[in-house]
Amino acid sequence: MDYGLLVDLSRCSGCGSCALACKEINELPGDAPADRLSATSWTFLDDRAGLTIKRQCMHCMNPACVSVCPVGALEKAAEGPVVYDESLCMGCRYCMIACPFGVPRYEWDSTEPRMRKCIMCWHTRVKDGGIPACAQTCPAAAVSFAPRQDLIEEARRRIRQHPDAYEDHVYGLREAGGTSVLYLSPVPFAAIGFPTVHQDTEYPGMTWAILEKLPAALTVGGALLAGVWWLTGRREVMEQVRSGELPMEEALRRRPPLVPEPRDEEGDE
Amino acid sequence: MKLVQIFGRLTLWKVILGVLLIAGGYAAVIRFAQGLGAATNLSDDYPWGLWIGFDVLVGVGVAAGGFVIAATVHVFRMERYASIARPALLTAFLGYLMVILAVLFDLGRPMRIWHPLVFWNPRSVMFLIGWCEALYAVVLAAEFSPLLFEKLGWGRALKTVRRLMTPLVILGVLLSITHQSSLGSLYVIAPDKLHPLWYSSMLPALFLVSAVAAGLAMTMFESCMSSRAFGRRLESDLVRGLARAVVVVQAVYLVLRANDLLYRGAIGYAFEATPEAVLFWGEIGLGSALPMVLLASRRVRYSNSGLFFAATLTVMGFIVHRLNVAVTGMAGWTGVSYFPSWLEVTVTVSLVALGVALFGVAARYLPVFPKAEEEPETPPWMEPRPRVLGTEPLLTKPALFGLWGMLALGAVGVVTTNSVTASEQAEQVGVEQATQQALITGVETRLSHLPVPEVEDLSLPEPFFFSASEDSPGPVRFDHRDHVDPADIRCDACHPKLFRLTVPGTPVEGVVDVDRAHDGDLCASCHDGERAFSTYDECELCHVEAE
Repeated sequence: MDYGLLVDLSRCSGCGSCALACKEINELPGDAPADRLSATSWTFLDDRAGLTIKRQCMHCMNPACVSVCPVGALEKAAEGPVVYDESLCMGCRYCMIACPFGVPRYEWDSTEPRMRKCIMCWHTRVKDGGIPACAQTCPAAAVSFAPRQDLIEEARRRIRQHPDAYEDHVYGLREAGGTSVLYLSPVPFAAIGFPTVHQDTEYPGMTWAILEKLPAALTVGGALLAGVWWLTGRREVMEQVRSGELPMEEALRRRPPLVPEPRDEEGDE
Repeated sequence: MKLVQIFGRLTLWKVILGVLLIAGGYAAVIRFAQGLGAATNLSDDYPWGLWIGFDVLVGVGVAAGGFVIAATVHVFRMERYASIARPALLTAFLGYLMVILAVLFDLGRPMRIWHPLVFWNPRSVMFLIGWCEALYAVVLAAEFSPLLFEKLGWGRALKTVRRLMTPLVILGVLLSITHQSSLGSLYVIAPDKLHPLWYSSMLPALFLVSAVAAGLAMTMFESCMSSRAFGRRLESDLVRGLARAVVVVQAVYLVLRANDLLYRGAIGYAFEATPEAVLFWGEIGLGSALPMVLLASRRVRYSNSGLFFAATLTVMGFIVHRLNVAVTGMAGWTGVSYFPSWLEVTVTVSLVALGVALFGVAARYLPVFPKAEEEPETPPWMEPRPRVLGTEPLLTKPALFGLWGMLALGAVGVVTTNSVTASEQAEQVGVEQATQQALITGVETRLSHLPVPEVEDLSLPEPFFFSASEDSPGPVRFDHRDHVDPADIRCDACHPKLFRLTVPGTPVEGVVDVDRAHDGDLCASCHDGERAFSTYDECELCHVEAE
């Protein structure tokens, strides 16, 4: 089942228990509250315009980070979370470059560093049918965990019910081709620090459009180069025929000559 | 064997090299003993810096001369270029070795550098790059091996490699083209982050074409340098051929680039007063257009210093382009600036120095350069100005002035644009404050349309009972609804200091006994008679009568 989180910024009271619960369940050191995402704060409350905005990994439906990881250390789990296998990661940090939301963090001060981000409590809860700690803890029911489709319907219902209170935009429905984490807000998302990303476009498709052409391009390229090599070699042979050094019948049987190295005359033979 | 025999005469250059290598060794100790954070200015906002921008992107790029010259000689059979094929191959090979070293510095877990070869993800551009880097390094070693076999006199091995040379070269060309273009493809997935002056879905093509120009220019550059260093005659007719090729490739690059900027409607950014625009013009104007125009002139092509100057410009323009993509172009999105740390710079400089030193050693002990015996070919119209090629200074006064002028221009550009951005920032802060105020009012208005939450609306855990000891008047019932004010929810008053959050049912470590409940670190920390009623007030407030 494809689950997600719905974060309703109108309901958030800013108590910060989500961030506390996150630290507790993931055994992250340091005190909440943090003022930005970090290797030890996978979710935090961003204070903007009188709102407290819970931020964390968006868990894209088709995540850029998963597609760019050269060793496949990142994976979109069937339940929805984007999870990370630290035993594979070699630390190239391409996921950090590729993430359109700027989420992944790194353990810069470690000699065995890992990428760090929200994994929607996959290992501790969701994998076994549980609820992520933040959603479970939120007393104001500002964070809900349910199948993504149900969350979309619930979000639309809230907008219909209180059209004056909500911006008519479910952030995450179309952003980056859709994300498992959805947001409702009383004001436009761009005004409260949400990145403007491509709508209805899955980021992995951007590089795949190039990569998928590669086999054909390499085949054609290889054939062309081999063809040029054969033609230039042929021309050399035919020049010998034209100058009378080589009979035609002999030339037809000849393979294209090797290119001599610059030192052939003082060579080894 | 005496030291002198091994190292030759002690020269200033060797001292500088030694100092750089020692500094690089020191930087390596810090990097590997203390981690990336201690050694670099990289951060969550700038995960890639100088080592990716210069060491990898530029390092691979300048190695492009290797595949271009190899294809020229072995596929197109323009055999006169064979004499510069070996130095070009050597540059490429050493370039790839230096890139691998740099990647080891940059990877968070360098011992896992082999992981992409075993744990696959063919959807990843980086995966492809890893394979290209590894395979082409092997192919380059094979292409270069005849030099070693010649030196060792291994005739059989030499013959075998030569027979395989054409397929090897073709494989190398394909790998290298894939590698060069893929470095551009890396950024295709970051359309929102990379500045529109550099982001393009055409990046793979732009990276490939500019790498060919830089690779050719690098071959020109090192032909000039090595002719000085080893007192050889410059193969000036070949270098002139390369120069003509650079003109064509730069023209193709400029047309592609202009086309792309116009097509995407991004050309406007080039005329804004931003550091990005300055660096863009520096890269395009001084690094691509100027050397193209210079090398298109026959006078420049027939002057050693002209060739050297234009080649240097091309390589510098290439470096600026790669750094713009990797560093400058990302600054706007992250909102943070990055400047490499001393240790990062030290590693980069000492890797370059190591490459140069290895080139020198290889050139000294292996048959890299052909023995020049033929007379220099001088075109008849050059007769009035006979030159003893290889002795003429590479940097004549005008060229020197040009280079210094460029640096000064760049400095002025950076300083002025910084001051522009400072004033713009101040303006922005003012605008931001106004919009922020409007936003807050907007939020309040909109939230007023929502019903005020009651305790019943909150999603609070069910009431529960603490276990009771034998002499207890009854178990203690705890209800969140009595403890939470829906208008001001403050979980952190009790969580997680007193009670854990994520483990319902067992919110407390250890046993809760009478003393701990009444006086200890739990209930009594609020129920002290001041902040809330005391734990010694009426028992029934907490202890529910057992049925």
